[in-house]
Amino acid sequence: MTAFSTEERQLLSESAEAWFADRYGPEHSKKLTRDTEDGFGREEWKTYAEMGWLGLALPEAAGGSDGGLTELAILLSTAGKHLAVEPLLPTLVLGAGAVAQFGAPAQQEILGKVAEGACLMALLHAEPASGFARDHVEAVATRSGDGFTLDGAKTFAIGAHAADTLVVSARIGDASGPVGLFLVPGKAEGVSLNVSPAMDGRRGAAARFAGVSLPADALLGGAETDRLSAIDALLDRGTLAACAEAVGAMHAATATTLDYLKQRKQFGRALSEFQVIQHRLVDMNILCEETRAAVHAALTAVDEGRADAALAVARAKVQCARASRFIGGQAVQLHGGMGMTDELAASHFYKRLSVTEAQFGDGEWHLRRLIEAGAAAPASAALASGLAAG
Amino acid sequence: MFINALARDPSLESFRQEVRDFCAANIGPDLRRKLDLGQHLTKEEYNAWLQALGEKGWLGGNWPREAGGQGWSAEEAAIFREETGRAGAPWLIPFGVTMVGPVIYTFGTPEQKARHLPGILKNTTWWCQGYSEPGSGSDLASLRTRAVKGVDDDGAHYRVTGQKIWTTLAHWADWCFCLVRTDPDAKPQKGISFLLIDMKTPGITVRPIITLDMGHHVNEVFFDDVRVPAENLIGEENKGWDYAKFLLANERVGVAELGSMVRYLDQLKGVLAQTMEGGKPLSQSPEFQRRVAELEVQFATLEALVADQHAAHQSAADQPSLIGAAALKIRGSELQQAILQCMTDALARHGLAYQADALMAGWNGELMGPAEMAGILAEHLHRRAATIYGGSSEIQRNIIAKGALGL
Repeated sequence: MTAFSTEERQLLSESAEAWFADRYGPEHSKKLTRDTEDGFGREEWKTYAEMGWLGLALPEAAGGSDGGLTELAILLSTAGKHLAVEPLLPTLVLGAGAVAQFGAPAQQEILGKVAEGACLMALLHAEPASGFARDHVEAVATRSGDGFTLDGAKTFAIGAHAADTLVVSARIGDASGPVGLFLVPGKAEGVSLNVSPAMDGRRGAAARFAGVSLPADALLGGAETDRLSAIDALLDRGTLAACAEAVGAMHAATATTLDYLKQRKQFGRALSEFQVIQHRLVDMNILCEETRAAVHAALTAVDEGRADAALAVARAKVQCARASRFIGGQAVQLHGGMGMTDELAASHFYKRLSVTEAQFGDGEWHLRRLIEAGAAAPASAALASGLAAG
Repeated sequence: MFINALARDPSLESFRQEVRDFCAANIGPDLRRKLDLGQHLTKEEYNAWLQALGEKGWLGGNWPREAGGQGWSAEEAAIFREETGRAGAPWLIPFGVTMVGPVIYTFGTPEQKARHLPGILKNTTWWCQGYSEPGSGSDLASLRTRAVKGVDDDGAHYRVTGQKIWTTLAHWADWCFCLVRTDPDAKPQKGISFLLIDMKTPGITVRPIITLDMGHHVNEVFFDDVRVPAENLIGEENKGWDYAKFLLANERVGVAELGSMVRYLDQLKGVLAQTMEGGKPLSQSPEFQRRVAELEVQFATLEALVADQHAAHQSAADQPSLIGAAALKIRGSELQQAILQCMTDALARHGLAYQADALMAGWNGELMGPAEMAGILAEHLHRRAATIYGGSSEIQRNIIAKGALGL
C-alpha cells in the first residue's frame, strides 16, 4: 500500500464530490433502485472505472492505485452523502479486498477485471444462524474429485444479487473443518438467489447453495487453512467502510434538515429560531463531527496496521451507530410530516443510516466486542501515562 | 390525591374471557394469517371486523350509554384494549369512534346525532380527519382552509376552499370532519369552525402520499369551492378550536396505543426466539433480555399512568385533560418506537432485507427471516410518525410547559 498524499486525497475528495453532486441525489437513487433491472446504475459503474475509483485500493499490478482503506473511505463517504446505490463496498472492500488479501497469484487476476468495471463482487459470510457473530459457519464445501461441492445458506447481503463473483465462506471437508473462502460464480448451477431491496432500497440477495460444484482453484489462497481471523479483519474493513458511508449520509441529513428548518415557518417564525430545535441541530452537528473524527482515527489505525486496529474499528462503529440513530431519527422528526414522505430526502437518509448502522454488527454488538476485549489494556496510551503521572 | 386508581373488580374476568372468545370467533384463519404477516388489509376486511364489533356494541364501548355506548369503566376499556391487542386484532380505526363521535355526542344537534352516531357505532360510515394543512402542522391554529357562508342561498351552505394534508384513509372515507377558517380577522384560534363534509361532494380531490415504508396511508385532500350545508356545522361558528381541543385530548388518551404495544411485546419475544446469533436464539442474549425487561417496565408504567388518568377523570366527572393526554402521547409514542426499534435491531441479523411486496395479498415469493419480518419493518418505518402525528412530541412538551408548569 502506498499512502496518498494529503493533496492527492483532497483531489480525490473534490472530484468525487463534483461527480456525485452533479449526477446523484435522492431522485436519481430512487429511479435506479426502482426502475432499473439491477437496481443500480451500470453507466455509473462504468464511470467509476474510468475515474479510476474502482482501482483505488487495488494493487498496481491489477491496474490500481494501491491506496488504502482511507482512500476508499473518501469515495464511500461521498457516495453515502449523495445516496449512491452502486455496490462499491461489497465489490471493492469485501470481494476484491478478500482476493487481494489472500488470493493466489492466479486468483489475483480477477482484480484487473474489478478495476476495469467488468467484475462485481460480494461477500456472503453471515448465515441464518450466525446473526452478527463472525465465527459461526455451517456452510460446508465437501471435497469431491479435485474440487469441492458447496452446500449452505447465506443471509441477505447488499450487492449479492448482481455479483459476477461471490466470495463465500464455508467449512472445508466437513462441519468441523477449517473455514475457507471460495470464489463462486454468481450464476453457477445450484446457486439460488432470493433478491430483494434492503430497507433503504439498495438491492441485494440471500443465497442458497445446493450441491454447487467448484474447481480446486475456487478456494482462495489454495491452502486449507482456517481463515476465520482473516475474515474478522476483512469484516472490520467492511465495518469501517460502512461507517464512512454513514458519515457522508449523516452530514447530508443534518444539512438538509437545517435547510428545511430555516425555511419552514410555524407560529410566525422559522422553526430554526426555536431554541429546542437549535439545540437538537447542534447535537446532530456535534455527532457528525465526532463520528468523522472517530472513523478517521480508526482508518489510520487500520491503514497503518496497528495492533489495536480492531478495537479502533469497534469504537468507531459504536460511535457511528449511536450518531446514525440520533441523526437519522431527528432528520425525520424535525421535518415533521414531510420527513415521513418518500418525496423528501430525509426519509431516505433515515433508511440509509438504519442499514449502515446495522451492517457488520450494530453498536450494541461492537460494544460487546469491546467489553470482551476488555480490561486487557487501558483505553489509551495517554490515559495510561496520565495514571502513571498521577 | 396520591391514589387515583379505582379498585379492581374481579368480576371483570368474565368480560376478559368474553373478549377473548369474541376475537377467536371473529378472526378467521385467512385474516389471522394476514395479521400475523402484517399484510395490508382491504377495506372489506376492516369492515368485517369493525362491523362485528359494532354489532356487539363494543366499537363504542367507551361511549356513555345515552350516546349508544356501553359506558365502560376504565378497567373494562383496558381489558378490551389489552385482549384485542394480544389477539393482534385489526387496527381500531379511530376517526369515527374515538375522534368525531364523542364530539358529535357532546356538541352536536339532535339531528346530527341521529344522522351520524349510528353509522359510527356500526362502522357503516368511514371518517377521516381534516386538520393539518401544508403550512399548518404543529401550528394548527394557523390553518387557512376557508369556509364562507354563501350569499346566493341565504347562508344555507358554506363554500369551502383549501387544502388538507396527512389525511389518513381519506381514500376510503365517506365523511371528513374538518377545521375551517370562518373568520379571517379574528385571532387564529377564534376564527375556526368544525365542519362535517361529505367526501362525495363535488370539488373534493384526494391525492395519495407515499411514506417511507412505501405504503399508502395518508393523502392530500383538496377542496375547490365545495358546498357544505350549514347544518353540518358542529356547535357554534368560530368555536371549532374548543371542539378540536376536546377531541385532541380524547385522541391522545387513545394514542397511548397500549393495545398495539401488548402485541408488539409479544412479537418482540417471538422475533428474539426465532433470531439466532452464534447458533443461539437472541432470547438468551443478556443485552436483549435487559432491553425487553426495560421495555416491559416502561409499558407497565404507561399502563398505570393511563389507568390513573382515566380514574382521575371519572372521579372528577371531568373530561380528559390536555396536559395528562400530552404526557401519555409523549410516552406512548416513544415506547411504541422503542419496541419496534428493538425488534428491528434483532431482525437486522437477517440483513435488513425489506420485502414490502410480501405485504400485498397474494404475494407468493420466498420470505427471508421470520415470517413477520416485512410486516414488523413496515410498522417500524410507519411508526416513525408516532412522535409527529396528533401533535408532535415537541408540541406536547409545549402543552405541558404552558398548561401544567405555567411557563
